[in-house]
Amino acid sequence: MFSTALLVSRWLFIALLIVPVGAGIVAVLLPALSYFPAIGEHHFSLAAFSRLMQVDSIVHMAMLSLFTGLMATFIATVGTLSILAISYHTAMLGWVQRLLSPVLVIPHAAAAIALGFILSPAGWPARLVSPELSGWIAPPVVSLLHDELGLSVTIALAIKALPFMLLMALSVLAQPHLADRLQKQVCVARTMGYTPATAFLSVVWPVLYPLIRLPVLAVLAFATANVEIPLILGPGSPPTLAVAVLQWFNNVDIFMRLQASAAACLHIGVTGLAIIIWLLIEKGAAALFHRRRCTGARNFASWWLSVIAYFTLGTLILLMLCMLISLVTWSFATYWPFPDTFPLGITLIHWQTSLTALSQPALNALLIALPVSVIAVGLSLLVLEQEQISHRATVSPGLKKEAVLFLPLLVPGVAFLFGLTWFSQFIGAGVWLPVLVSHFVYVLPYVFLSLAVAYRRFDIRYTYVGYGLGASPYDVFWKVKLPQLFAPIMVALALGIAISFSQYLPTLLPGAGTIATVTTESVAVSAGGSRRLSAVYTLVQMIMPLIGFALAWWLPLRFFNPAAWSD
Amino acid sequence: MIKKNTLTLHSLSVSKDSRTLISVDTEVKPGSITTIMGPSGIGKSLLLAAIAGVLPATFTQNGSVCYDGAELTALPAHKRRLGILFQDPLLFEHMNVAQNIMFGMPQNELSKQQRADTLLADVGLQGYGQRAVQALSGGQQARVALLRTLASAPRAVLLDEPFSKLDMQTRHQTRCWVFDNIRQQGLPCIMVTHDEDDALDAQGPVITITQPEQDTDKLC
Repeated sequence: MFSTALLVSRWLFIALLIVPVGAGIVAVLLPALSYFPAIGEHHFSLAAFSRLMQVDSIVHMAMLSLFTGLMATFIATVGTLSILAISYHTAMLGWVQRLLSPVLVIPHAAAAIALGFILSPAGWPARLVSPELSGWIAPPVVSLLHDELGLSVTIALAIKALPFMLLMALSVLAQPHLADRLQKQVCVARTMGYTPATAFLSVVWPVLYPLIRLPVLAVLAFATANVEIPLILGPGSPPTLAVAVLQWFNNVDIFMRLQASAAACLHIGVTGLAIIIWLLIEKGAAALFHRRRCTGARNFASWWLSVIAYFTLGTLILLMLCMLISLVTWSFATYWPFPDTFPLGITLIHWQTSLTALSQPALNALLIALPVSVIAVGLSLLVLEQEQISHRATVSPGLKKEAVLFLPLLVPGVAFLFGLTWFSQFIGAGVWLPVLVSHFVYVLPYVFLSLAVAYRRFDIRYTYVGYGLGASPYDVFWKVKLPQLFAPIMVALALGIAISFSQYLPTLLPGAGTIATVTTESVAVSAGGSRRLSAVYTLVQMIMPLIGFALAWWLPLRFFNPAAWSD
Repeated sequence: MIKKNTLTLHSLSVSKDSRTLISVDTEVKPGSITTIMGPSGIGKSLLLAAIAGVLPATFTQNGSVCYDGAELTALPAHKRRLGILFQDPLLFEHMNVAQNIMFGMPQNELSKQQRADTLLADVGLQGYGQRAVQALSGGQQARVALLRTLASAPRAVLLDEPFSKLDMQTRHQTRCWVFDNIRQQGLPCIMVTHDEDDALDAQGPVITITQPEQDTDKLC
């Protein structure tokens, strides 16, 4: 009975990842090829594509997506490398990890809005230097926002990508056998006179990078195709390709949807191209490193790595502080003329208004996040248990499964989510089910990866002891493993909820705009005029996932912990 | 003739890729401790895994494990009722000491709590039942681990280098205590170890495994 459930869960796991993405791609490909019976298009043709190619700025849009995505990934990768190089096996690493973990759960939209706050002409940094240093008595006309090159988009993407990559790298480096081996190898290199950073670069990084390549490519794919960040910070005419797809899709002219579908397909190509360019950059960098390594320079790149690491960390901390202070100040501000550093007074009115307005969106967000995360955690646990029971973990660490996990992260969401929306409208699935499925596809990979670390580290001998005491596999799973893994399970649940909270496009598209969550409302408000409301919405967006993590930290102290009850 | 409470290994062997790693044919009488000696990495623990029914899928086993003439090999691990002890006590940390001991007790056993308390008192741990297992010393944890195994009324006990992590002082003491208990309960026991002293104290038959000739070069 239990073993059947485990086997079924494995297939369900793979199907739930492949089917929505696959169906989505097929359903976006058909209208792109002008096959769309609902509006009377029955013949395949390349008309939509040729119309797309006639759009003046199409190449510009594609290049913008390519550039922002590649740049953000590059910054995040170099940042990750340099920070690890200077902090590997020092106390600083734990400190960096604690500092960056909260950034990981800040929704992309919130990060973008917050960055917009400080980059805007009337932003807090501009006020700090005005009028004494800058001479501005009115907000400057030139703005860092919506710049033509998408630099602010790149910064926002990099802010979000860096903590993700760093934490992925740390979870790889925490694998017991690998950690032990690498630590000794670094030791050997150090005794040969290599500086810590150079030792890391030439000994650890070549082993580490291939193990985080998939997450890095996922970051790249995501960065090229993200919608909410360029929507909030990016240039307007022309926007990035993903934003253009969204605009055409929402156009009143239904025939524009064919062009939107063609553009969505083009986006798969753009993202694919970005990945190819990245792999080429990888090859070039590897060859360069190899040549330098052969010279045997003991401090190769050491100076640069520390400079970049401290610059990256410094910038990140400064940005985070500025963002937080700006948001909090704006959310309580009454009248606040430029260039005053602080508002003339404080008020609770914005919080009162917003919290009333946000109660339904917050409830909606929970109604989506809770079932999606609970199911994702449950399914991941069953799949991991199946893997452990069938001793597959010792053969190959679930390589195929891991590749499937990255499928929804590698295919641009803007492509398959459109298809999925078409598809669900076609079969009349309503709005809630498609939204739940879309969220699930994004939540499952993160939940699984987060649980897998703890599950695979679980000492299998506990299971054997359990069997020896006469407990069935089901009993061992339920009474021995799950309680002992309670803390990582709660963290995975909180992570799932945070990921679901942060989804913009997977809520907007399959929900046909009818399901409002805190994130969709927040993006909508950010386009409007009220800075104060926007500040509150963004803060709520940041606080909600943190509540989940606080619970995930507190609950294991109370439950399945006999130490809490005895003295 | 069927001998009561006897664990028999009928040419039990573990192999990988059609290469036999270890093979043992023996009979373990109740209250006797059979030691399987050999250098580390030779597959002693795999043999115990095969007996317990938890051999990883990459290995194959041949031969059979019998208890009182009935074959155990076809049974899943949790129905074999072979208690296993490792070098770590592996107490369940989400349960207190008494809950750990009660976990393995037969379902129809009455007043489990009371029995757990009695068992603890017998080994000088009276009043420890409600404590968190992390609060116990290494020697105390080892004692609770054995109590937990014995309370589950196993058919036999398997010991996988059980004393190698204890320090010199407590090792001899704990070892004698464990062996005495197993003998008193009349349980057949198989221990794998590379420590000569373990075998001496066990006072039972010793099976020494040596490296197969043809592989010596490769492994050295």
